[in-house]
Amino acid sequence: MTEYQNIFTRVQIRGPLHAGVPVTGSVFQREGKPFFSYLMGIIGNAQVGPLYLGSLGVASLICGFIAIEVIGLNMWASVGWNPVLFLRDLPWLALEPPAPAYGLHIPPLNQGGWWLVAGFFLTAAMILWFFRVYRRARQLGLGTHTAWAWASAIWLYLVLGFIRPILMGSWGEAPPFGIFPHLDWTVAFSLRYGNLYYDPFHMLSIVFLYGSVLLFAMHAATILAVSRFGGDKEVEQSVDRGTASERAALFWRWTMGFNATMESIHRWAWWFAVLTPLTGGIGILLTGTVTDNWFLWAVKHGVAPHYAPIYSPAIDPAAVQGVKP
Amino acid sequence: MAMLTFEKKYRVPGGTLLGGDLFDYWVGPFYVGFFGVTAAFFSILGTALIIYGASQGHTWNVWQINITPPDISYGLGFAPIAKGGLWQIITVCALGAFVSWALREVEISRKLGIGLHVPFAFSFAIFAYVSLEVIRPILMGAWGVGFPYGIMSHLDWVSNTGYQYLNFEYNPAHMLGVTLFFTTTFALALHGSLVLSALNPAKGEEVKSAEYEDTFFRDFIGYSIGTLGIHRLGLFLALAAVFFSGVCIILSGPFWTAGWPEWWSWWLNMPIWSAGH
Amino acid sequence: MRTALSGVALLGAFAVSLVAVLTFSHPPVEMVATGNPGTGMQLNYVPAQVAQALAINQPPPALPLIDAGPPAKTVYKNVQVLGNVSTGAFTRLMVSMSNWVAPQQGCNYCHVAGNFADDSKYTKVIARRMLQMTIAVNTTYANHVGSVGVTCYTCHRGAPMPTQIWFTGVTPGSGTGLVETNMGKNLPAAAINNSSLPSDPFTPFLLNNEQIRDQGTTALPSGNRQSIKQTDWTYALMMHYSQALGVNCAFCHNSQAFSDWSESTPQRVTAFYAEAMLRDLNRNYMVPLTATFPVSQRGPTGDVAKINCATCHQGVYKPLFGAAMAAKFPPLLGVGATAAAATAPMPASDTTNATKN
Repeated sequence: MTEYQNIFTRVQIRGPLHAGVPVTGSVFQREGKPFFSYLMGIIGNAQVGPLYLGSLGVASLICGFIAIEVIGLNMWASVGWNPVLFLRDLPWLALEPPAPAYGLHIPPLNQGGWWLVAGFFLTAAMILWFFRVYRRARQLGLGTHTAWAWASAIWLYLVLGFIRPILMGSWGEAPPFGIFPHLDWTVAFSLRYGNLYYDPFHMLSIVFLYGSVLLFAMHAATILAVSRFGGDKEVEQSVDRGTASERAALFWRWTMGFNATMESIHRWAWWFAVLTPLTGGIGILLTGTVTDNWFLWAVKHGVAPHYAPIYSPAIDPAAVQGVKP
Repeated sequence: MAMLTFEKKYRVPGGTLLGGDLFDYWVGPFYVGFFGVTAAFFSILGTALIIYGASQGHTWNVWQINITPPDISYGLGFAPIAKGGLWQIITVCALGAFVSWALREVEISRKLGIGLHVPFAFSFAIFAYVSLEVIRPILMGAWGVGFPYGIMSHLDWVSNTGYQYLNFEYNPAHMLGVTLFFTTTFALALHGSLVLSALNPAKGEEVKSAEYEDTFFRDFIGYSIGTLGIHRLGLFLALAAVFFSGVCIILSGPFWTAGWPEWWSWWLNMPIWSAGH
Repeated sequence: MRTALSGVALLGAFAVSLVAVLTFSHPPVEMVATGNPGTGMQLNYVPAQVAQALAINQPPPALPLIDAGPPAKTVYKNVQVLGNVSTGAFTRLMVSMSNWVAPQQGCNYCHVAGNFADDSKYTKVIARRMLQMTIAVNTTYANHVGSVGVTCYTCHRGAPMPTQIWFTGVTPGSGTGLVETNMGKNLPAAAINNSSLPSDPFTPFLLNNEQIRDQGTTALPSGNRQSIKQTDWTYALMMHYSQALGVNCAFCHNSQAFSDWSESTPQRVTAFYAEAMLRDLNRNYMVPLTATFPVSQRGPTGDVAKINCATCHQGVYKPLFGAAMAAKFPPLLGVGATAAAATAPMPASDTTNATKN
């Protein structure tokens, strides 16, 4: 009954360390001396490193470092440079965007200017990272799928912090950098624009988010289940189908009447994952720009359910007094 | 026959958990088995009851159809059909169908001689559903705290249940769950991209081997988990996401009734901070 | 070394997790539905916490009712508010006030020993104004206090200074140099359920008359310029409402459409009237007393202590669980109050309150 389900590596074999496919077309070389890690080897490859930074990687990391420093130092400043309070209150602290009164103007640094600085460097870091991933793929002769998936995340980030604020005419519409504060922002965003659950693109984004997790659970479980037949060698199985692929396909065919192939499951995966921020970004972009109250929008289109009143319906007291709210 | 070219040789008897050879056959592409019969029974009955419930409601608008649980005053007892009893029967049907489906997956896995990872993973999804509709209602003492069956009404339930705790996003288990959901999706994008990029290289290039995949990821982030490891990681992330989702809702109500932001007072009140004052 | 470090880290993580786990309550849970089945509109309580709240929030025993003797102004000097109240009722109320507000200090907390008419103690001046305020609440804000009404005890609970009061926070935007101005938010705010929302939503909404309503009233944009940051302030105010009353959002709202009155409970209307009342009380009763209070009793920016929902409610949906305490003290309902009490010397009406809220 009990049989080994291949959830960790029982015997780690140490072969030679891989330097990797030779770097071509670059003055930079890989950094660091690779080594074996027993802990990593339990679930995946034991080899750690080397790392290729290159000019784009170095530039991206510098921009990212600046952004994190600006955010962190502003947070620290907001508790009067008290190190204990900084640690204690860290989840509550934030770097806020400028007040709405500034519109799209550049405010003084301590009035939200630092937020713009941090946003600029974080955006630069993300875009430089895109080019880094793109160039790595091309120099190794691979497709550029990772870069384009990353672009989808950049899209969501830019919609939140740049495109939508510009369309709304106020940097103050953007979320703050901070742990709890950005959560407050998401709730306030939903409150202001009449319940984001009624935003159809928010619905789609959630579907793709849950769908991605479902797909990864289905796919990863399937591959592990057929790993005794070499199912984890997906590229080989795709070009030269083996019994692992066949059993994996038949499992789903017999279960739900439909199956993907070893290659197409990764297309499903890619699209579900990429559509999550893509549709989410659209949902955010439409909010406030073309709709003002998603619940009323849903009422207008016959989507919102109606609940029988159980009290004599409350009437706006401000209206009762004969004054418009 | 709806069979793939290689399918015939895999269609062999055996591997069933219950019913022996009685239901050991296929209908079109579907494997039946004893649990296929029970899954069909529960899902057809449940769906029919949902349609019946819709007919008793005030709308056929698919967004607005709403089959509600009993009022909380019914506690953990049975409610009249029109007042939540239907919801209770549908919930039993759903549980029957989900568990049948998982056991059917076990039978299919056994028949194919593969691991039981898929039914194990599916059991986490069942756990999430059971948390919402069984465990939490029992702990709180009323079926009425379960979510209603309706496309929009279940969203309203999520919304109101969240605001019962003033800001649900401060729920620590919810934070973990959401983080894991995003991380799983991120990891799925990376894995899907990597396999597609090896299979679909630049024009004129050959399909790339795992050596290239490993090199790409080591160049990229300094570590390549490998073709087997990524599936272990992905399964772990996905199941942890679902697990903490279940935990976050079981905590809310049975084990915490105030606003979730207030829960963090323990962190602020830890004696170690006194040095800062 | 490496093992020792990770051991310490593990122990620390375990200790923190243990503290976190110990914070939770446990079933059973008491529930109150406030909406249709399946909407998720309900209040949740831990029975032990309810029992504790019930034990704390009880009215004190009232002295036997006396209403005899000539009007107080004919017997005592300098009776400005309760002049037409019978001497018996007047004395009973004075003794009760002492029990409610200054049980340790007694009459001399407000009165100069041997000369009850003397106004030289600041506490007496404030007490008189607070009497006027109590009568004003009971007579003009029945739309909020209903038949329950308020007495001194509603807020004071045996203490000269009510415990649940607020002062204006540090002015937003006051940071200098490199210091990021967090716009009054992004620190743990105890009055706002320890969230990182603005810590002082009281100054804009319960003293000034800023717009509380943020949500659009049309599906498509039609000129509503309320920002997300403004919504933070309203959200903070609503957090306070919930916390002060020991309820959650569902006490008043269906979150499907927070702003929709037809989906709200009657309690939302009651809460609405509190907003105008609190602005009136803070502006016309508390703020004019600023200079009367000693500096030590004022806030960090020198402002007077002010009132919010928690001042009376103290964590309960109705103060003292709705005990009709005021009815036992007819003078506090305005019976026998002089004309001077009915029309208080400070402007008492907040004429602008209905325009925005």
